[in-house]
Amino acid sequence: MGRRFDTLLALGLTVLALAMGLAGCKRSEESREAAGRTRLVFKYQPLWGPPGPFRELLARFERENPGVELVTEALPNASDLAHQFFLTSLEGGADDFDVLVADVVWVPEFARAGWIADLSEHFPPEQLRADFFPGPVDAVLVDGKTYAVPWYLDVGVLYYRKDLVPRAPRTYEELQRFAREAMAKAPGLQGYVWQGRQYEGLSCNVYEALWGHGGEALGAGGKVLLDAEPAREALGYLRGLVRSGVSPETVTGFSEEESRRVFQEGRAVFMRNWPYAWGEAQKPDSPIRGKVGIAPLPTKGGEPGWGTLGGWQLAVNAHVSPERRKLAARLIAHLTSPDANLVLALNYARNPPRPAVYDNPKLREAEPFIASLRQMVERARPRPVTPYYNLIADVLQSEFSAAVAGIRTPEDALKRAQEQVDHLTGVDE
Amino acid sequence: MSTGGSLERERRQAYLLVAPAVLVLAGVALYPILAAIWLSLHRFILVFGERRFTGLDNYAFLLSDARFWAALGNTAYFTAVAVTVELLLAVPLALLLNRAFPGRGLLRASVLVPWAIPTVVSARLWAWMFNPEYGLINRLLPGNDINWLGAPGYALHAAILVDVWKTTPFVALLVLAGLQGISEDLYKAARVDGASAWRAFRSITLPLLKPALLLAVLFRSLDAFRVFDAIYVLTEGGPANTTETLSIYAYKTLMRSGDFGYGSALSVATFLCVVVLAAVWLKLLGREEGAR
Repeated sequence: MGRRFDTLLALGLTVLALAMGLAGCKRSEESREAAGRTRLVFKYQPLWGPPGPFRELLARFERENPGVELVTEALPNASDLAHQFFLTSLEGGADDFDVLVADVVWVPEFARAGWIADLSEHFPPEQLRADFFPGPVDAVLVDGKTYAVPWYLDVGVLYYRKDLVPRAPRTYEELQRFAREAMAKAPGLQGYVWQGRQYEGLSCNVYEALWGHGGEALGAGGKVLLDAEPAREALGYLRGLVRSGVSPETVTGFSEEESRRVFQEGRAVFMRNWPYAWGEAQKPDSPIRGKVGIAPLPTKGGEPGWGTLGGWQLAVNAHVSPERRKLAARLIAHLTSPDANLVLALNYARNPPRPAVYDNPKLREAEPFIASLRQMVERARPRPVTPYYNLIADVLQSEFSAAVAGIRTPEDALKRAQEQVDHLTGVDE
Repeated sequence: MSTGGSLERERRQAYLLVAPAVLVLAGVALYPILAAIWLSLHRFILVFGERRFTGLDNYAFLLSDARFWAALGNTAYFTAVAVTVELLLAVPLALLLNRAFPGRGLLRASVLVPWAIPTVVSARLWAWMFNPEYGLINRLLPGNDINWLGAPGYALHAAILVDVWKTTPFVALLVLAGLQGISEDLYKAARVDGASAWRAFRSITLPLLKPALLLAVLFRSLDAFRVFDAIYVLTEGGPANTTETLSIYAYKTLMRSGDFGYGSALSVATFLCVVVLAAVWLKLLGREEGAR
């Protein structure tokens, strides 16, 4: 009797363990409909800053859509990790979130994988072209269809020390000359700091140099094309900065924060970075407060340079039902409206992707720095818009790194990069 | 009711009782390994939207993949140097900790601090200390212009240093446990025979410590071979992949590039390397045990 009981108990425990797993799935299904309202889940990375204004923005959506219960879920702050999360969950067909944020280089990849919904019906491409800057629109259109809507953006810019150089340099030649002149007067001063470590930031620096030398990363038919003269010139220029001492050898180990700290300590004349560094430079205890200017990156020919476009877009999970997709599109419209752009700019210093917002007097008064970025934002360019971007980014980072660190010549590095890219994307097959 | 029947029933019952644990273990440990092996036999690249069985194609490519061999070389070098240095430092440290002196308990606890800090945190800390422009290391060194994390040759050694700093205490603790198993009588006898301290160390301590040392080498080399977090935080595998280990290569291929087939093949290859390494050490360890 007792023994049979034990046997039953063991069996029972096994069944219970299995059942608990199933029940877990069941329960979440039920709670979705429990309140009689539609649950809409928004996956995003926390915005640094006061939580109030953003919460109010979300609350307004709920008030305007009484049938919707809006739930926000946080993502890891690092872009890498967020990408990994979406890769695993969307590949597995997850439908437990509706609206997601996507980094600029993910949209074509996710669209091609069939993970994010075509939003052209809600946000026609022509409409986006009319309302947003060209760079961010290019980044969200895949084969002429809208797959995401720009939320806020980022752009590579040049910081310079107003007290050390006569004006912002317009050409690469000027940048090097100004830097040398300032360095000659102050021993121990570095010339130009940027991001040369093997990671995505290095690729951004390389593309900027590529565009500044008149090059393009994508050739005919969307084929990634790097084994070309402007690319060799661009890498040669970056390596030359290190070799000639205008940039310290150590930039090959720098990401954003390492370069910012050198610049912030007042130990460099120029810095390439994103707009976030401005706020840091202007803090009360900053040694360079009031001495810093910001300008478009220089180019070979002297026209204002093109900074790499960064930032985030909102997309809809293609695995959710059509009704929820419609609601999700409505939420995106709400979060990317000019009003919402203004909330994000005023409270979180996020650059609006709409030109019209930059003319808003409130923004000009409260955040003159953001308003002043308009020219640079206007010329922000996305990295190659191709579904293969993430597939090839890794190869490019390593070859760019080899060229910048002087392990291979730019010619060799680019040739190797091109071979590997062609192999990966299979264009030769 | 016969005794045999009851034994039989008891056995069945035992199986049933461990069944939940076995099921959970199979799900948690076995399934991912089998899934990875299965995936590695496919061409499964996310952006191509294709998933087809290709047999051993990924492994054929792996054998001709220069990046794989470079990563394997980096991993082996990292493991060999890190573990050797850790052992060389840990033995004297353990001898010191084995002595009786005031504050020994406190010292024993405090040497474990580096080991207790999460690797990602300590790697981040070291990344700042290695910063060539304003990091502590270059300020302490004369000449102070070493490009620790940006120059090939230096970066991997910087990573080794971080690993040594972090895990030497752990090795020392293993060695200390071995030391405490050696009977004090042996030393007393050696003293009576007039042996010098060095002679006692060579003829008593070292041979009796061998199993503990081998165990430490086993643990550490298996661990070091899978190294990911410390190097990823310090360099992400740069510059020019000179610090890329097998785990980092596999991670990048799987999670960044979305090449699940080849990424899995790389993971399986890493797994096989670790298995071989473990088999070799266990064999050595077994021989040691048998000899005694």
